[in-house]
Amino acid sequence: MMNANTTPVPTPGEDFMAAGEAGQELAVEQVSDAETPDRWWQVIWSSRKARVGVIILAIYVLVAVFAPLIAPHDPLDGSFEPLAGPSSTNWLGTTTSGQDIASQLIYGTRISLLVGLFGGLFATVIATVIGLISGYAEGTLLDDGLSFLTNVFLVIPVFPLIITLVAYSEVRGLWLIVGVVAITSWAGAARAKRSQIITLRNRDFVTAAKFSGEGTWRIVFREIMPNMSSLVLASFVGAATGAIAAEAGLAALGLGDSRSVSWGTMLYQSNAQGAIAQGLWLWVFVPGLVLAILMTATTFINFGVDLLSNPHLREDA
Amino acid sequence: MTLLDVRDLSVRYEPKASRPLDAVQGVTFSIEPGEFVGLIGESGSGKTTLGTAVLRLLQRPGRISGGSIEFNGTDITDLPEDELRSLRWRDLSTVFQSSMNSLNPVVRVEGQFRDAIEQHSSLRGEAVTRRIRELFDMVIIDPKFMTAFPHELSGGMRQRVNLALALALDPKFILLDEPTTGLDVVVQHSILENVRRLQAEQGFAVLFISHDIGTVLDLSDRILVMYAGRIVEDQSAGALLREPLHPYTKGLLGSYGDPRDEIVKITYVPGRPPDLSRSMVGCSFAPRCPERIQVCLEEDPPLVPLNGGRAACHVAVLQRAEDGAETFGEPKRGFEGPQFVKTADESRSALTNEVVLSVENVSKVFERRRGLTVTRTQAVSDVSFELRRGEVTALVGQSGSGKSTLAKMITGVETPTQGRIVFHGPDGDRLVSGFKGRALRAYRSDVQMVFQDPYSSINPAKRLGYVLSRPLVNYQGLKGEELRERVKELLERVALTPAERFINRYGYELSGGQRQRVIIAKALAVEPEIIVADEPISSLDVSIRAEILELLNDLVKENDVSILYITHDLLSARMLSDEVIVLNGGKVVEKGPTLGVIRAPKDDYTRSLLDAIPNPF
Repeated sequence: MMNANTTPVPTPGEDFMAAGEAGQELAVEQVSDAETPDRWWQVIWSSRKARVGVIILAIYVLVAVFAPLIAPHDPLDGSFEPLAGPSSTNWLGTTTSGQDIASQLIYGTRISLLVGLFGGLFATVIATVIGLISGYAEGTLLDDGLSFLTNVFLVIPVFPLIITLVAYSEVRGLWLIVGVVAITSWAGAARAKRSQIITLRNRDFVTAAKFSGEGTWRIVFREIMPNMSSLVLASFVGAATGAIAAEAGLAALGLGDSRSVSWGTMLYQSNAQGAIAQGLWLWVFVPGLVLAILMTATTFINFGVDLLSNPHLREDA
Repeated sequence: MTLLDVRDLSVRYEPKASRPLDAVQGVTFSIEPGEFVGLIGESGSGKTTLGTAVLRLLQRPGRISGGSIEFNGTDITDLPEDELRSLRWRDLSTVFQSSMNSLNPVVRVEGQFRDAIEQHSSLRGEAVTRRIRELFDMVIIDPKFMTAFPHELSGGMRQRVNLALALALDPKFILLDEPTTGLDVVVQHSILENVRRLQAEQGFAVLFISHDIGTVLDLSDRILVMYAGRIVEDQSAGALLREPLHPYTKGLLGSYGDPRDEIVKITYVPGRPPDLSRSMVGCSFAPRCPERIQVCLEEDPPLVPLNGGRAACHVAVLQRAEDGAETFGEPKRGFEGPQFVKTADESRSALTNEVVLSVENVSKVFERRRGLTVTRTQAVSDVSFELRRGEVTALVGQSGSGKSTLAKMITGVETPTQGRIVFHGPDGDRLVSGFKGRALRAYRSDVQMVFQDPYSSINPAKRLGYVLSRPLVNYQGLKGEELRERVKELLERVALTPAERFINRYGYELSGGQRQRVIIAKALAVEPEIIVADEPISSLDVSIRAEILELLNDLVKENDVSILYITHDLLSARMLSDEVIVLNGGKVVEKGPTLGVIRAPKDDYTRSLLDAIPNPF
């Protein structure tokens, strides 16, 4: 039944794994079978908390994109009966100036998400560039300078600075808010990235990149940065959450763009018109609630992002 | 009575995100009191998992999925943690792989001993101190280090402390999981001798896990060979050396040779171990086995008693059956796979080639400023040698001998404090000294480097095609189809064929040997004159080291590349180099043709390095 001749008997010294040999096929096959680890979105999705966060965020995004289709009225249209209670025309009632609260709430999503997206993005870009360069150049004058700048921004009391900047500016547009939020909130994240790159820059693959003739910029941003993508992503989500809160806070203090509708301006208006004293709970309560839910959702997403950088957490998720 | 009895033990990892994996599959073995048992296998064979399972220290997602572990008559397979706690360290103790991390950095060494001793015995106060002193004497450390913090001890001392800690309560069984990996050869040698002596004196049983069959053979009474989650051979050390049964064991044995011989042959086991998350038909070693027959691809061989030991191999069983030798041939002792042969003649001719790099009376002093005091460290003093075209020079020495500093100066990163290094390149002579910016970049088109750790020297976020294309883009300005062709050529040059299969992979998908090939291919991309190879095989499994040595050797022969081979291992230096320079404390203590130095070492330090090479033969 068994026959030794069915298999070629290798001669000692000869490469029995040479091309064309059945054995090599088998051995190489095992290489191509090697598992690719999950992509980052799969990892985030695997966490239940993050899944909840992503779903809530998706709903907010849909509402913001399709606001004109969803909202029953123009948010600035003051032709309704003022201070009406919830009804089929005005789902959440109206304001003192006869505007539809539900429509304002729906349109307000746009401002919050835009500020979150761009504020988070700009803050992350500043933090990444400064943090990576200063960490890669650790111990040099350049690092000293950038670290000093970072430290200054860390100790500045941010909110009073934002208020001062916005209060003295000529225009009160969305982009002003985005810009102010970005330049005041990057410092902490820059520090985190600086310490991360310090641990990465002495890895052999960085030295190997130097030996293949790569320039410093390419090493920092093309070789090292992809290895800290989870940190960058986490800091983006964090910065976006902060930006949304800052915008709402500013607007609620009356420092927002008075021509646009956001949850912050709704809070400001309701407060200015004495909504609480008049018992108009919906007007005060609802913008605060949607804001809180959105910020909870982004925080939940960051639980998923945590799994990216710490695979051990994935087993407990 | 049997001390440790493991029956049919299986361990399964069930990660949430990927396929479950049976890391240990139906393993049965036992250890008698006072027995020294070695467990060998390559990385990923499940030996560490088996060790942790025996100590009941498995962590999620791993769990014991079957079988039983009986220790000293008690079944500990499902023993609750509270009952295990009293058993651990008193009866079962361990020395972990990483000596650096297993001591608490903020507690003095004495405190850590005191904790363990007071927890498990009635000793208190002065009696504990006496015991600790005794333990320190046992592992030959000055008791004055009792009050030191772990970071104040050297790596070797820390591992001795760990060993003393494991012995603190006179355990019946100690698990040693690669206790000397990452330590210097000479230190490694002395620690293991210490272990063996203590074991003989005190009579505890040991399960010694290692990937290095040489050291295991030196120490153990009996050896278990593990492959792909199973035990494939179980024999006494003597019998295993005389007549290895499983071809994998033969492959492991074949990775050693006597460096003193005129012709040294070492074999290697090509390919990589199977993916344990997939089900397999037939013997798991069959794809890499030169002795396989048809039945090996069809039926999984059971572990059966054979020649006084046990083996799981169809061929070994058939050959030893009655009349088996006629049909299946005589049992073979050697591994019939690829081998790498080095003869003494090859070296003689290389030493007459023209010089490409001359190092002339080079010294390096590092200055560290702390406030007003400046500490000077002499890393290298007065070193001279020449590297010739198509020649390999080995720089041999343990860590701290100055070999890495020398490599940094030769690669142009550091400037010599005294003396000079001259590179005789194709565009005339160049003085090598702490190049910066463009000059350093230009120099690197002539001098490239192969790194020690293939696991960290490939960017985990990039595909191999990208990794290999960068030097080509930077130095040769290739692009498009031409670039792609050249990348494929490089992959094929280092025998990663077919190239299409590898071009879109990530480094972590490959085995250590394959990764090291990629690093070599990358170094070759710029067609350098000199390659500095910094311990390129020390982090690879013993069974595949020869594969990389052979590749480097071919490069030297075919491309007239010169290699500066940095190592602490004289056997590999013998296999690859024509000339050897032994460094100790920054000074050259011995220099000459490799075979000459190895056969007739003049310096004591060279002799101690030679003694430290595990030589099972």
